[in-house]
Amino acid sequence: MSGRRVLVSGMGSELGSLVASLLEAEPWVGALQGIDVDPPRRRLRTAAFHRVDPSDRERAVELVTRFDPHVVVHVAVWEPDARVNTATAQRLTNDFATSILGGAAECPALEQIVVRSAAEIYGRARNAPSRPDEAAPVAPTSEFGRMAALIEAKADDVGRRTGVAVGAVRLAPVLGPHVPSPLGRLLRMPAVPFSLLADPPFAVTRDLDAATALVAAARVGLAEPVNVAAPGAITAWQAIRRGRRLALPMVGPEWQLARRISHLFGAPVPEHVVETLHRGRLIDRGRAQQLLGVTPQSSTSEVIDSLYAWPSVVHVTRASLQQRSGAA
Amino acid sequence: MTVSAHQGRVSELAVDEWGRDARLIDLLSPIARMRWDVIFADEIRLPTGPALVVVNTRRFALTPIAVAWALGDELERPVRFVGRPDIVPFGPLLRRAGGLLDRADEVAGALRDGALVLVGAGPRLGAEHVGAIEPDVIGAALREGAPIHVAAVRSSATSRHIGVEIDHPLRPRRRRRGPLAEVELADAAQTRLRDLLRGTSGGVADLAAARAAMRGSA
Repeated sequence: MSGRRVLVSGMGSELGSLVASLLEAEPWVGALQGIDVDPPRRRLRTAAFHRVDPSDRERAVELVTRFDPHVVVHVAVWEPDARVNTATAQRLTNDFATSILGGAAECPALEQIVVRSAAEIYGRARNAPSRPDEAAPVAPTSEFGRMAALIEAKADDVGRRTGVAVGAVRLAPVLGPHVPSPLGRLLRMPAVPFSLLADPPFAVTRDLDAATALVAAARVGLAEPVNVAAPGAITAWQAIRRGRRLALPMVGPEWQLARRISHLFGAPVPEHVVETLHRGRLIDRGRAQQLLGVTPQSSTSEVIDSLYAWPSVVHVTRASLQQRSGAA
Repeated sequence: MTVSAHQGRVSELAVDEWGRDARLIDLLSPIARMRWDVIFADEIRLPTGPALVVVNTRRFALTPIAVAWALGDELERPVRFVGRPDIVPFGPLLRRAGGLLDRADEVAGALRDGALVLVGAGPRLGAEHVGAIEPDVIGAALREGAPIHVAAVRSSATSRHIGVEIDHPLRPRRRRRGPLAEVELADAAQTRLRDLLRGTSGGVADLAAARAAMRGSA
């Protein structure tokens, strides 16, 4: 297996560009191409990038079919209120899923599709399993969960029609120094609301671990869903204490007010984040090692500690620039 | 408080992957010991890996919690119990205490994770009566290849002593390919629990006396 053509949709995102940079180092990857609405966030050495408007389906399909990939890594998933609001996130995710996966179905060389999915796909209805494994029913209870379910359904449909393997990497909330995450943004606020009566546990994933899992899924030819989350769990109150923030206990109706105030201060709290804070978000990550051969290296507590250690603003001085160019 | 002292304290702030809060249990354990004095008869014969322990329960006695905490203390490993509700505030609180939802897939997940899981038979008013045991939970243990033990719990509403006798792992009488395997094993567990409770082993008073004697000799 060498000289494979790999297409990464969503290469412009932090996670997508991280996936692309890891794929560049994979010996089995021959040509690497990326498609997104924004250019990549990091320097890529061999990957070719195409900036495409999601509504321009013809161009996206043309690019995909001309490249004729063996493997498609579909990372073009917009988490609501991460970079855009919920309605725009839905539209962008849906448009790109249709163009990229639809275009991939027309490629004769296609062997595998890997999609970035989310732990929100299981939903958190009352009496739902508290730590669902991959066999748990897909029953999303938030918009982000429904978006993840829709992408998986589209990829499965392409897989059924074309006979290619489809793997879904269901990631716990992804946090990283440059990853736009509504959960991370909320936890970094000076005062953070949490559910006093529930304060349930949740797990997260570091961006590098998430990218490593997606690359591993492409490498091993994953043909089923797999849960990926950092080891351990934490509650919102514990995270707030670790970050030395002011904890704002909430019991019910005042959540609406807290969401609005948080939005005003630049940290909108979408439905799935409220669900995480009310009902928790854990997944059974027991099969990741078996299916992917890798497991996340950073624990949930470490990722949360890093979240508070990452600088909000990086001041670039002339000296630091000179130092960096000298090192390069 | 210095920054390092704060960091030292907050570094302990985390729950495990099922939401169990070891710190909270450590805080509540002295109070639990004031209410319950759990005495284990003989040596505890449980594997170091995953296992399901089925106990008889008395109505309103919180038997699974008392036994799970005491067993966790004895074995120095987390013991989870089945039967937390999924409603605030009791559900989240019992989750911190090591509770799992009463779902076969939840029990299967915990066993797959290497946990020692304690499940109660249907509650009865009398301490020596044993209610029905849910075959789905037994089936989860069978599928995960975890041994199933029964533990006879002798308790009384008027005493703080609880005697616990853990039996050898149950073995199915015959090989079954279908759902009869768990149904028959659940019946066998119920029968074995009844036998243990009616057996020749001493009651709670005997166990308490034995413990007092041990303390005296020490």
